[in-house]
Amino acid sequence: MKVINTITLGLTTVTLLFLGCNQDAKPAKQKVVKPTISETSLGLRKNTLFDEKVKPHGTKYSATYAGSGHKIARAFQDAPPMIPHDVTGLIPIKIGDNQCLSCHMPEVAKDMGATPIPSSHFMDFRPVTTIAADGELEKDGHKIKNSSSEKLKNVSIKSNHGKLYGGRYNCTQCHAPQDTGVLAVPNTFKAVYTDPDGKDKSRWTGDRLMQGINTYDTSK
Amino acid sequence: MSLSRRNFLKNSAAASAAAAIGMSVPAELKANADTAESGWRWDKAACRFCGTGCGIMMATKNGKIVAVKGDPAAPVNRGLNCIKGYFNAKIMYGADRLTKPLLRMNDKGEFDKHGKFGEITWQRAFDEMEKHIRKALKESGPEGVAVFASGQYTIMEGYAAQKMMKGGFRSNAIDPNARHCMASAVVGFYQTFGIDEPSGCYDDIELTDTVVSWGSNMAEMHPILWSRVTDRKLSDPNRVKVVNISTYRHRTSDLADMEIIFTPNTDLAMWNYIAHEIVYNHPEAIDWDFLKKNIIFAASPVNMGYGLRRAGEKSLTPVRKDGSAGNYTAKEMETINHEMVHKVSAAEAPALEPYGYKEGDNMVNKPAGLKHWEISFDEYKKFLKPYTLDYVAKVAKGDPDESLDSFKKKLQTLADLYIEKGRKVVSFWTMGMNQHTRGTWVNTLSYNIHFMLNKQALPGSGAFSLTGQPSACGTAREVGTFCHRLPADMMVKNPHHRKKTEHGWHIPEGTLNPVGNQHIMKIHRDIEDGLVKFAWVNVCNAYQDSASAKHWIKAARELDNFIVTSDGYPGISAMVSDMVLPSAMIYEKWGAYGNAERRSQHWRQQVLPVGDAMSDTWQWMELSKRFTVKDLWGAYTLRNGKKLPDVREAAHKLGYKDDTTMYEILYANERAKKNYPITLNKFPQKGYDNSDCNGDSRNVIGGDGKVVKGCGFMVHEYLWEEYAAFGRGHGHDLADFVTYHKVRGLKWPVVDGKETPWRFNVKYDPYAAAAVAKSGSKSTHAFYGPLAKALPYGDLHGVKNKKKTSLKDKAKIFARPYMEPPEVPNEEYDTWLCTGRVLEHWHSGTMTMRVPELFRAVPEALCYMNPKTAKEKGLKQGELCWVESRRGRVKAHVETRGRNRPPRGLVFIPWFDEKVFINKVCLDATCPQSKQTDYKKCAVKIYKA
Repeated sequence: MKVINTITLGLTTVTLLFLGCNQDAKPAKQKVVKPTISETSLGLRKNTLFDEKVKPHGTKYSATYAGSGHKIARAFQDAPPMIPHDVTGLIPIKIGDNQCLSCHMPEVAKDMGATPIPSSHFMDFRPVTTIAADGELEKDGHKIKNSSSEKLKNVSIKSNHGKLYGGRYNCTQCHAPQDTGVLAVPNTFKAVYTDPDGKDKSRWTGDRLMQGINTYDTSK
Repeated sequence: MSLSRRNFLKNSAAASAAAAIGMSVPAELKANADTAESGWRWDKAACRFCGTGCGIMMATKNGKIVAVKGDPAAPVNRGLNCIKGYFNAKIMYGADRLTKPLLRMNDKGEFDKHGKFGEITWQRAFDEMEKHIRKALKESGPEGVAVFASGQYTIMEGYAAQKMMKGGFRSNAIDPNARHCMASAVVGFYQTFGIDEPSGCYDDIELTDTVVSWGSNMAEMHPILWSRVTDRKLSDPNRVKVVNISTYRHRTSDLADMEIIFTPNTDLAMWNYIAHEIVYNHPEAIDWDFLKKNIIFAASPVNMGYGLRRAGEKSLTPVRKDGSAGNYTAKEMETINHEMVHKVSAAEAPALEPYGYKEGDNMVNKPAGLKHWEISFDEYKKFLKPYTLDYVAKVAKGDPDESLDSFKKKLQTLADLYIEKGRKVVSFWTMGMNQHTRGTWVNTLSYNIHFMLNKQALPGSGAFSLTGQPSACGTAREVGTFCHRLPADMMVKNPHHRKKTEHGWHIPEGTLNPVGNQHIMKIHRDIEDGLVKFAWVNVCNAYQDSASAKHWIKAARELDNFIVTSDGYPGISAMVSDMVLPSAMIYEKWGAYGNAERRSQHWRQQVLPVGDAMSDTWQWMELSKRFTVKDLWGAYTLRNGKKLPDVREAAHKLGYKDDTTMYEILYANERAKKNYPITLNKFPQKGYDNSDCNGDSRNVIGGDGKVVKGCGFMVHEYLWEEYAAFGRGHGHDLADFVTYHKVRGLKWPVVDGKETPWRFNVKYDPYAAAAVAKSGSKSTHAFYGPLAKALPYGDLHGVKNKKKTSLKDKAKIFARPYMEPPEVPNEEYDTWLCTGRVLEHWHSGTMTMRVPELFRAVPEALCYMNPKTAKEKGLKQGELCWVESRRGRVKAHVETRGRNRPPRGLVFIPWFDEKVFINKVCLDATCPQSKQTDYKKCAVKIYKA
């Protein structure tokens, strides 16, 4: 995480300006503050809008090869992990051709030194949607009034019988390789892991799938 | 869902319960068992990003977001999010959040347009806004005060902004970035159905056999919908077919059975080819019973231009001998001149032949507005005649390295899939068909096919416009934060609609301005022409997201005007502005969004805003305290000579005094305070912050120099209920505020507590059932939208009989030809440029570029290019190149093996990157009917940097 801490001098200045003022006591009266913030210090361009001397960032993904064991800490508890290795030649993902699975399926992952796909990916959360003979919309075989109800009757978490859930086939929808350069702006988010190994493992399974889901107490 | 799964369900008595893992029934009992997360509070919310409208579960601890997970109870996404969805957790924590108002000043602390920014108080900020708005009203009238609005406003924010702009300032110059994103879809809906928004819902995905994506990279832009498509495809791979139709290969092609790469703008020709196949070669496929009961045929003018500036406008004057005009160079004028006269090209000539044009003819363009008229089926058939396989394949084949035969086979297969009896088909589209100089046309052409085959507004079948932004539907469209609209599909030009709105708002009759023509590009152009003197950027990035960007930036920086940007982070709009205000971001306020399947979803304020940031609703309310009846409701003369009456007398009759503020009229009025009290110990308020209504522990000093205590009533509920009252009983019914806090969204119209999955279908839509019962038509459908439902009669060339015939409850099939865009590649500018988004970044990147995981996933906008194009230009993978149009140039790194793989002759560059400011290169041509910019095509040259 060394990279996160490496911020440019200019950025530090801006950050201090904004965050510093944030902590100021409320001003009792208006005093004249000299304007010191140039427009080019705002935002990510760090250059005038009127010429194009600005240089694009340049991308340098990790060249670490798949299977080297290098991992990137999850951003927070049960967050999707980012891809720590080179993906050249491994994507695009196509029907019948998903190379991610050849290392990350749970049965082989350990031997391959890869993060195993967690159990949440082998469950189907979507009720079976059908149209009954009378034309009514049904979910899991029941006629429904609304697709979402106060009583969470529509929750439908079930095993996908050992198969990866089809909706999770597009791995790159959630998992992405990571540039190794300097961040444009640091981020002050602080992760709170509830599991000792939360940085590299998801335990979004069992009871935890339903955790906090009842945001409206139906008993009242 | 596959047959095996269906059997599994049938054979198992308690299917879902029996198969559940680690969970007993009922689910609620398990919900609060865990101790490991003590101190965590989970709540539901809507995702901040795209139009899919996923539900997220969000955990907070000690006033900070600590985690996000997919909401298993959310019908849209069922426990799964995309990468942006998960990283909602971090979007508010970028280190350079705006925390104080900033003003450009001199060393004495006075406003100075050429000064640097310095911190000011909220009080000073509203002083400056007030001063500059008064100046603008004095110099230009209500048309001089403008707002760049948003499809990312919460529903209540958009409604609050609309009330003050249209009711207070009497200005209709409020138009959202949604204009750039789905205006063509809207006009398509209005013209076809007489009412906005899709007939289908996302359940169509699980119920269909065929998904055809037209100009929509769903895999990246609607990832969760794509995950549903993927599941559907994988569950029955032989039956389910997926077709991707695009101008370049992208991730949506990766799972497709067939990919069609076409030349930009020829989607018009391909839709008409399918219609030609049906009408000429498979007439037996037409459901004549359905058509006779429900559909009429229609035509409209073709010589309507390209939505560019027109000759005679101030900034195009004078015209010089070298070809330049006003602020526009001779190069720019090469394209702009098409707006006045367009020479019919060889490619479009056959399609325009039924209209009397031939190759080389000068088509004289004039503004056509939205007029259209009824024609006969025979006339429609005559219009379709040119769209033979040979013609369409010739103009539409977009990959020079594909053979004509291969392309023809694909077109035939496509038509066959649509036509096949018993095959359900959903056509999805997004920006490819909306950002299009014939965007309205191509939207309407999609319905033609589905209507003729009776495959519209049925479970698993229909043409389905996917919206881009999280509340383009909910706020921009349904609330009506467009220059020409009012809530619930009402229009500013309709006197009955104005009256109804005035009554709903308790403002005098005659207050509302009947002229609503300042769409987003018009606002930019009006600033350049010096008419608009004050503009406020709300929840968007108007100076990064608009094409021909150099002009608008120059106008903002160099002319006598005052530009304000409210935002969470400083983006390009902030750089351009005279004043920058710190806004509360999404989970720092209460809100609601409406997604692309008509689902409205609410959330509660999860955390306090950072610094002195306050919500946009609060900012609008504070501003409204500065203006009284006397200030705003006198007489005005608009630029077209129309007079807005003095309504102050009428205001007195309503009980207002000259010094009654707009705050007291539009927001904190007696009915709001009486009917919507804050009940701190009751759901949904109990246990949650509400900075707008109660103030908060930060004790921010507000617009009056005093600590913000909040408005003291539940303003979000008040705004919601007042807004919802306009739609109830009119096909837009919304449930009450509290219900939405209990459920994971409902699809309007919500009638007797029940949502509507498929509109216009008698089986599912109570409005359609009522219409059919009333008319006695015995039809399965009623397209009951009320707009443009009486038409004169004519042929392709124009109206022949002015007498209007009613087409109540009917929809329209339009004759609309293939035409080229105004700027096509030539010898000098030899390459098509297409812009758009990438999965990991949202719009201009102000939020996502500050999330480390998202930034690192895609830290820059690349120039995606065919390896052969790179070779031709002498460029190598990873090198910098210049991309230059007639308007400007930017540098980008060449990517020849990335996720987007264009054919030779086309490059794709996304627009999220401030350092690759591609909108300097893009052209501000729009669909002349919808006014939506075409970001998908202009001509560029590419060379080594």
